[in-house]
Amino acid sequence: MKFTESHEWIVVSEGIGTVGVTAYAQKELGDIVYVELPIVGKEVNSGDEAAVLESTKAAADVYSPVAGKIIEVNRTLEDAPELVNNSSETDGWLFKIKLKNPEEVNKLMDRTAYQSKFA
Amino acid sequence: MKTVLYEEHCRLGGKLVDFNGWSMPLYYTGIIQEHQIVRTKAGLFDVSHMGYITVEGEEAEKFLDYLAVNEISGKKNNSSVYTVLAAKSGGSIDDVLIFKEDTEHFFLIVNAGNRDKDLAHLLEYAKKYRVSVKDHYDDCGILALQGPETFPILRGLFPEADGLKPFRFIKSEFSGKEIIISHTGYTGEKGVEIIAPLAVIPELWSRILAAGETFGIQPVGLGARDTLRLEMGYALYSHELSADIPPNESVSAWTVKFDKEDFLGKEALLALENSPVKLYAYGVILEDPGIAREGYEVFSSDQWIGYVTSGTNSPTLHKSIALIVATEKLAVDDIVHIKIRNDFKKARITKIPFYHPEKHKEIV
Repeated sequence: MKFTESHEWIVVSEGIGTVGVTAYAQKELGDIVYVELPIVGKEVNSGDEAAVLESTKAAADVYSPVAGKIIEVNRTLEDAPELVNNSSETDGWLFKIKLKNPEEVNKLMDRTAYQSKFA
Repeated sequence: MKTVLYEEHCRLGGKLVDFNGWSMPLYYTGIIQEHQIVRTKAGLFDVSHMGYITVEGEEAEKFLDYLAVNEISGKKNNSSVYTVLAAKSGGSIDDVLIFKEDTEHFFLIVNAGNRDKDLAHLLEYAKKYRVSVKDHYDDCGILALQGPETFPILRGLFPEADGLKPFRFIKSEFSGKEIIISHTGYTGEKGVEIIAPLAVIPELWSRILAAGETFGIQPVGLGARDTLRLEMGYALYSHELSADIPPNESVSAWTVKFDKEDFLGKEALLALENSPVKLYAYGVILEDPGIAREGYEVFSSDQWIGYVTSGTNSPTLHKSIALIVATEKLAVDDIVHIKIRNDFKKARITKIPFYHPEKHKEIV
């Protein structure tokens, strides 16, 4: 699992990345009550807004950690947005992306680096 | 700034945020969970950042009746009134509770963010009346106990408060100090607000939490305070009301009593009332997924008609609710569209309050 400065995580397997927000981020955001997911098929660059997490208090953008094409979104969040709070780094994943360049993920932080920054 | 309970909020694990310059708990366990505790059991709020001001003197009633858009004269002793204080221009200076002990003794609870402005306003107009205005910002604090278990919890501590009717208050004593217990609140639930000298606030806080333990009481932060008030369609100053938003363009429009002989701002508000540019405040429930936030634009048949003043997901109704203002009169069940990022989301004009504590109690 790799991490961004803007609190996303990504796990890449066979060129497909699964993306979510970190446990730290969900705690900072508080109760998530609605998740706006990207449109499947959308092409994004790294750092582009890809999803929006709405908490009781505010809306927070989620940025794509890598460039690529959105190929799947986590539809269970439509009825259970609280999964982002309860299982942020597992069942609360947001979308899957086909990486344009599978090497791009290597530029991101590992868990130790992320945690030393945000703990 | 910090209230006298700051250390206690930290000890309880509160997530502290800045609110109008005050470091206050947004939540302790979570906004939704705390919201539900207030709707089903009881929650204790530290609202000591709000201001307590006394107004006394021969012309106290006349003075406050002139500064308030709502009727103050002739109210019963030991009762309170919610009102907006308007400026001469019609803009809202604050929305406050005015409490009447008798015709010569009144006090106000004002919003944290407006404490200095309110005091200056009152002092300015006090020059023309036989009244003395005194703030208790540095010597008193306020706690709010809200929820259906409020009075059962209070019974052990203040049996004299039992059966206190809404918008009535009594004076009582705690730890040798005089306190005020008022049946008022910002949640729509049964509840009290207690004004007490700062010296006894920490002990009062602990004693209420201890007395409420078997009833499931919890400390509740400002996050749930906001979602609770929004379910009731109550105004929050700087969102539904401001120096630029007069009371008759807000959900607090009902407080403006034009049949009063005179009050500060009457001329301006009356002119606005009959003007084609007046805005109207409504509640909406979104029918498309999404949450309408403050400032989002509202459309009707592709025409811009206004904007959102507050919005959230209602934790009790599990619906996306918002307060809006519109350039035209709308009716319940009218459909409008709210622009959320790049989409137009369907929303239905709904009667406020969105939630009726008594009516909904069985289904919670």
